[in-house]
Amino acid sequence: MSLKIMISGTGGQGILFTTRLLTGFFVGRGRKVVTSQIHGMSQRGGSVQSSVLVDAGDSPVIGRGDADILLGFEPVETVRALDCASARTAVFMNTTPVIPFVLSQQYVQKQGPGTYPDLAALGDTIREVTPSLFQFDATTMARDAGSSKSLNLVMTGCLFGTGIIPGSAGDFETWFRENGNPGQGEPNLRAWAGGVALGKRLNPVEQER
Amino acid sequence: MIENHRHPVLREDTACLTGNLAIVRGALEAGVQFVSGYPGTPASEVGDTFSAIADTAGIHFEYSINEKISVETAFAASLTGARSLCSMKHLGLNFAGDPAATIPYVGVKGGMVIVSAGDPSMITSPNEQDQRHFNGFLHYPVFDPATPSDTLEMTRFAFPFSEETRLPVLLRPTTRICHSGGMVQPRPLPKTRNNIRFEKDPPRYVPTPPNARRMRKELTGRISLAEDLLLGSDFFPRTGTGKTGIVAGGVAHAYASRVIEELGVQERISLLKIGAYPIPEMILADFLGSVESALVVEELTPIIEEKLIISAFRNGRMIPILGKKSGHFPLEFEYSPDLVESVLRKALDLGESPKKSISIPELPPRPPVLCPGCPHRTSFYHVRRVFGQKTVYVNDIGCYTLGYGPPLDCCDVLLCMGSSISKASAISRTTGERVVAFIGDSTFFHSGLPALTNALQYDDNITLCILDNHVTAMTGFQPSAVSDRGPEAPSIEKAVRGLGAKNVVSVDPFDSEASVEALKKARAGTGVNVIIFNSPCVIYEEKLRPRKGRGSYDIDQELCDGCTLCVRVLGCPAITIEEDKYLIDPDLCDGCDLCAQVCNRNAIHRKAKA
Repeated sequence: MSLKIMISGTGGQGILFTTRLLTGFFVGRGRKVVTSQIHGMSQRGGSVQSSVLVDAGDSPVIGRGDADILLGFEPVETVRALDCASARTAVFMNTTPVIPFVLSQQYVQKQGPGTYPDLAALGDTIREVTPSLFQFDATTMARDAGSSKSLNLVMTGCLFGTGIIPGSAGDFETWFRENGNPGQGEPNLRAWAGGVALGKRLNPVEQER
Repeated sequence: MIENHRHPVLREDTACLTGNLAIVRGALEAGVQFVSGYPGTPASEVGDTFSAIADTAGIHFEYSINEKISVETAFAASLTGARSLCSMKHLGLNFAGDPAATIPYVGVKGGMVIVSAGDPSMITSPNEQDQRHFNGFLHYPVFDPATPSDTLEMTRFAFPFSEETRLPVLLRPTTRICHSGGMVQPRPLPKTRNNIRFEKDPPRYVPTPPNARRMRKELTGRISLAEDLLLGSDFFPRTGTGKTGIVAGGVAHAYASRVIEELGVQERISLLKIGAYPIPEMILADFLGSVESALVVEELTPIIEEKLIISAFRNGRMIPILGKKSGHFPLEFEYSPDLVESVLRKALDLGESPKKSISIPELPPRPPVLCPGCPHRTSFYHVRRVFGQKTVYVNDIGCYTLGYGPPLDCCDVLLCMGSSISKASAISRTTGERVVAFIGDSTFFHSGLPALTNALQYDDNITLCILDNHVTAMTGFQPSAVSDRGPEAPSIEKAVRGLGAKNVVSVDPFDSEASVEALKKARAGTGVNVIIFNSPCVIYEEKLRPRKGRGSYDIDQELCDGCTLCVRVLGCPAITIEEDKYLIDPDLCDGCDLCAQVCNRNAIHRKAKA
């Protein structure tokens, strides 16, 4: 069975690291993985999109409406990647915004909206495409676990916690402990555990199993 | 940092590698001995990876000062018998055009591969030129991979192929190959490598006109040998036996292949992949003879399409050949699976896609921006304050290109690497105005030095600001000539004086007083004034020597009257406005102090340590 995951967020949120983690995990389980990354010129703060396709042929790009999962690390960036989603796509969205730098420029020059889009409206836009929208404050969960840099493990944990992708949370954790970055071990593992627990709550199907 | 022995390119198990890493692995499997390169997205990771493993793998590696030197060193190493590779982005090969043009004439000895990555859609480039033209233009065999696995196989194939034909090979991955991961099956590294010896043979290596004319005749024979060898290669696989032909190259082949499967039309299609140039004529003629129409799926220019039209005409096979020239595909930008699907549906009369297009509301963009604490912002701020709005500011290629647009507005003209000084010279000569040019350290050594020599020779009326942040930051912190070499490093100031510049000063941009004084002097002066703004890239410093941090700043809400000045003149991403309140994001603030200096109300202060 093929699996297509789109990951979207901003520079510095760990999108490329998450891509490497998922890729390594699936390759380790004998699956064929193809990935693609688009990151602009900015070292920090720009939009970053990355796709992970498992057993889905050679094409590295996810077509319109073709994603099984959209993992949104930031609200505006989740909606920016929405073209890859359709009614069967599960969307995971971190609700903490990274404020685009242009907004303060718009504000002082009195050009454009100057404020961050309404979070509820962003959620409605997503729900017009798919009923499966899971929103949560992953940034605060990561901070509570000890480091905002662990955001990617909250997101990944949540994804595995729901059980909607092949491979259990336990399998991933074992793999991560052996192959992940030990430097930030403790906050990462706490963030991961928090994400998994949240994922289990999010998906009623998983709880009944 | 990955330890060397664990580096993915040094492992022999099946792995998912990006195109850039697959190039490195392929070259190692071919026994590459000499590697050079100049960083340029999307090819930068080729050099970065070689740099990381060169010692472990026992190969010579250099980040060259520019692409011309990179091509020249790789060529000369090849003449000693070494298998050599140099890497750069598409534009870099233009800069190296002079040496590149004559290498096919002289011929190589050890296999030589030039990696020149294309960037369709200009994701990080100012143009999207099609490198495949180097085949017709300068006789290079061009390999055009469709996947990372192709990339590895082609790189490995290229070295012995280059030795047999004595032609350098141009490997042209595009951004979608360089930065895409795919499964590769590595093979063991070779036990032996080429013997190194420079054998004197001047008539062979010196292309004086009589020799060059002899070489030109030989070249024709070597090109024909290359075509024969490619005919026997795996670079033109064909799938299916249907009567509708599709011919595709590069990543567009992967898209076409996927779309054919998803539409379930495999029986109707014959799919031919074009992986190399020159395309052996027999491959096109055979294919045209077996199909009733041919749709060409290739990004950028219609090279395959034109070859097919020529082949059809010569063979009297007048079937429809569709592609860019027929208006089925656009002439610009990269393709996508969705685009290929919609064209294929039209060509096969399958009706419109059932997939709904989603209307996404307007979202705030995230254009690239100078980092918080970046010394370039500080330099730009001082320059603008002293030189004002009317002065013409010419800029160059590097992070400082981000001086473009408000609020810094320090980029009125931009063209290519090293061009700021020459542009400033000519604009000042024709307008009679004093013009300001910006250039970074790496770009200055790359191609700014000759332009400055030129400006000094003609005593042009310019102020040159060299923004020395000690590193090539934009492409991922590769060392420039002045990086981490301590007292061994060349002195930009001495070099500039050595060229004859009289008014030269080095300042720390964070020393406002010294910076403004230097700029005022330069503004009042005539002729060439050079100011070297010397301050390290904050991100690179942090990587080299993690600091406890300069501490972040805070805005006193009692004192802030919302005058907008800090946001209006600095454009620092760490300063945000929420519900009319000006705030500093502690995660982003680098503690550079510039906003505190700018604030008229004295409302911005370093945070007391908790």
